Amino acid sequence: MKVKAGRWVLCGYCVYLLVPLYWLLSMAFTANADIVGEFSVFPRDATSANFAEIFSNPVWYQAFGNSLSYVVINTLISLAVAVPAAYVFSRYRFLGDRQLFFWLLTNRMAPPAVFLLPFFQLYSAIGLFDTPLAVALAHCLFTVPLSVWILEGFFSGVPTELDEMASIDGHSFLYFFFRVFLPVNRGALGVTLFFCFMFSWVELLLARTLTGASAKPIVVVMTRTVSASGMDWGVLAAAGVLTVLPGILVVWFVRKDLVKGFALGRVS
Amino acid sequence: MPVVLIVAFSAVIPLMTVVNYSVQDILDFNSRFYVGLDWYRETLNDPRFLEAFLRQLGFSFTVLLIEVPLGIAVARGIPKTGRFTSPILILLAIPLLIPWNVVATIWQMFARPDIGLLGVAVNAMGISYNYTAEPMHAWLTLVAMDVWHWTSLVALLAFAGLSAIPNPFYQAAELDGASKWQVFRYVELPRLRGVLVIAILLRLMDSFMIYTEPFVLTGGGPGNTTTFLSQYLTTMAVGQFDLGPAAAFSVIYFLFILLFCWLFYTSVMVRRDES
Amino acid sequence: MAQISLDNLSFRYPGATADTLSGLNLEVAHAEAHALLGASGAGKTTLLNLLSGLLVPTGGALRMNGRDVSALPGRARDVAQVFQFPVLYESLSVADNLAFPLKTRGVSRAEIAERTAYICEELQITALREKKPHALSLFEKQLVAVGKALVRPDVSLVLLDEPLTAVEPKIKWRLRQTLRKVQADLQVTMIYVTHDQTEALTFADKVSVLTTGGILQTGTPEEVYAAPSHEFVGHFVGSPGMNFLPSKVVGVSQGERVGFRAEWASLSQQSALSDGAVQGLVTRIRIQGTRAGLPYGLVTVATEHGELSVRGELSLGGEKELVVGDSVAIHVHKYVAFEAQHKVGEGELV
Repeated sequence: MKVKAGRWVLCGYCVYLLVPLYWLLSMAFTANADIVGEFSVFPRDATSANFAEIFSNPVWYQAFGNSLSYVVINTLISLAVAVPAAYVFSRYRFLGDRQLFFWLLTNRMAPPAVFLLPFFQLYSAIGLFDTPLAVALAHCLFTVPLSVWILEGFFSGVPTELDEMASIDGHSFLYFFFRVFLPVNRGALGVTLFFCFMFSWVELLLARTLTGASAKPIVVVMTRTVSASGMDWGVLAAAGVLTVLPGILVVWFVRKDLVKGFALGRVS
Repeated sequence: MPVVLIVAFSAVIPLMTVVNYSVQDILDFNSRFYVGLDWYRETLNDPRFLEAFLRQLGFSFTVLLIEVPLGIAVARGIPKTGRFTSPILILLAIPLLIPWNVVATIWQMFARPDIGLLGVAVNAMGISYNYTAEPMHAWLTLVAMDVWHWTSLVALLAFAGLSAIPNPFYQAAELDGASKWQVFRYVELPRLRGVLVIAILLRLMDSFMIYTEPFVLTGGGPGNTTTFLSQYLTTMAVGQFDLGPAAAFSVIYFLFILLFCWLFYTSVMVRRDES
Repeated sequence: MAQISLDNLSFRYPGATADTLSGLNLEVAHAEAHALLGASGAGKTTLLNLLSGLLVPTGGALRMNGRDVSALPGRARDVAQVFQFPVLYESLSVADNLAFPLKTRGVSRAEIAERTAYICEELQITALREKKPHALSLFEKQLVAVGKALVRPDVSLVLLDEPLTAVEPKIKWRLRQTLRKVQADLQVTMIYVTHDQTEALTFADKVSVLTTGGILQTGTPEEVYAAPSHEFVGHFVGSPGMNFLPSKVVGVSQGERVGFRAEWASLSQQSALSDGAVQGLVTRIRIQGTRAGLPYGLVTVATEHGELSVRGELSLGGEKELVVGDSVAIHVHKYVAFEAQHKVGEGELV
């Protein structure tokens, strides 16, 4: 049985990924004092105290909830806006379409720091400061362009014959869109959904600027894991482990779509 | 009819951003512009700015050069069917989902020569490795961390692109007697073009703006050997309160990214429109 | 060019409970145009994949020119394939696409130029040489795909997997014609897989009718049409398929049932002396043309044994024009007799 060179690269890369992840896991199960104290490959006195701290302390689990809410809202809004926009960009040519498209992308190119102050003022002014909605909307600034970008790429690859066939068959546009077009593009939608979720979940600056005490997200809490003796590495590591879980769920949810890519030419 | 709907949707984003930019304009751009062209001149002539800029270029290109081919290679190795596919995709996604300061924290501990797995292991092999003391080690560690963190982005995008290639293309190539390299070059690469543009631009932009990870890991040191653009800007604006130069800096920063991306984008899109 | 033999060929997908193909025997002669006709799910794709080397048989052997190639990978078999949609290298020009299978085998540049020019001539695509696939119509792209399959002079076998599927209905016939012409000119062994019996009958020298697991009949289009060895063949081939009646009804002693083609029967007015004729009511008339000035077409008649189709003049006794609702008698003139679905004989009636 031939083993492709690609498999070796994959294996090596997986090992490369796993080692620091193991280290993270190991730190999560080690008391802070032990982490800083002495080196050992395996946690010497494995403890679940770090996790206990997170599960018992409302600051932590509320923060999780806050993050989840704005990420979910953001993903929904982004997709709702980006899918039609991408469809238009891929199917229609209008005056200035390329410029508009590139301009959309530039929104993602600016360092977020540039928007901190204006956003702060804007969302305070409309009374949305310190709410998940504010962060969700603010994140749209970069998740929407990215989504449109990825989706347009995939949508353009789907032949327009598909659209024509549907209209010839007498189906309304809405029927075509939701029953034919979107299912065909499941791969693209899956990928986009994941990236929206991911970039929104890890974003720190805007999330920190636009929230105060009540909507504090997990990313912010994690920058403040300082105890009396300095940085609490153990709790931070445990939080790090837990923080990955929602994302894993998302990947698992779209895993089939990622593999599907999209079907081209399966006419029979 | 749908066009109207869609244009309406698309108008939301411009509206949002226009609001933001205009607010921004009012606040510091306009006033700075007329009063402080000097700020731009000063920034562009600042030797430390130029140094940071060059370092940034070096870092971005190194990282891109590793992550793109590696990501593609990894994607090609992922089995499209079978029970390993999902776990592998999940594993690949994990580094992307960790908040960036935590990533840096992991590597900070991981690479410490006294209590970190990597640090201890490398030193045990006889190399006196210390990323806080040696610039070269700091660079290597930063690059290794970035590769660890972001290659999956390229890999996942490439994988989605590869999965979209129908089997007959591979079958035909097999019957044509194509070598593995030819399959990559003539079947896969042409179809990955769109996906790769996205991946490369994203990595280019993000690596150029990188702040949290190097800041947490090395703090810009030793000395300022790993101080990249973002950190320099932040120090200027927040640390030293040089808001004038900082504003100019921001604009230059943004314009540069814009330029780079525009060049890359149009060159690729022009080719796409030709074909 | 090759002679292909399927020798008791079987295939079962891993984890399946039954063979997809079992005990297939088939001979395809050198330079023969052979059609594999079958409904969806009959195993046509599996058979194609066995021939191209994508799958390895689980039983029996596949031979090309006498050599057992069952386990040989695709690239070693000198086989080419045309797919349902045009499969080309998008970044290469037409000329480079055609040259590709030759280049990978180390053919000299001069020979490549000569051969690709010849193929372009044959398929009349010389004008497209420098273009890239995205600039071509679907039909043109498929032509290039056919050219690419034929470009190697030593290609043993060309497989075609429903190649007309993606092409517009209006120009399917052009592609069909081109395939026929090219096959004859180049004397290439072609195996053409389809579920469309018109395509099969018009394209091929020999037709094999495939059903789940096995080949029911192999023969010339005429044989398969007029002398089906199995009721399914009679039903599947021809437009419309064969009519079936219990033998006794038409006064035939052979077999349980007889099958007859629409044009093997005629209609007359119902009368008491319709002995050995089947009575029925006309439910549909489809005019297909005129013959000797009289309208001619397909008549559907509802009888107590089901719906039957008769092709002929649309009049009764050459005088009264046939109309929906008329009571008619069907006289069968020629038939094939079947017992337990297998052909046991044939004959003619007055």
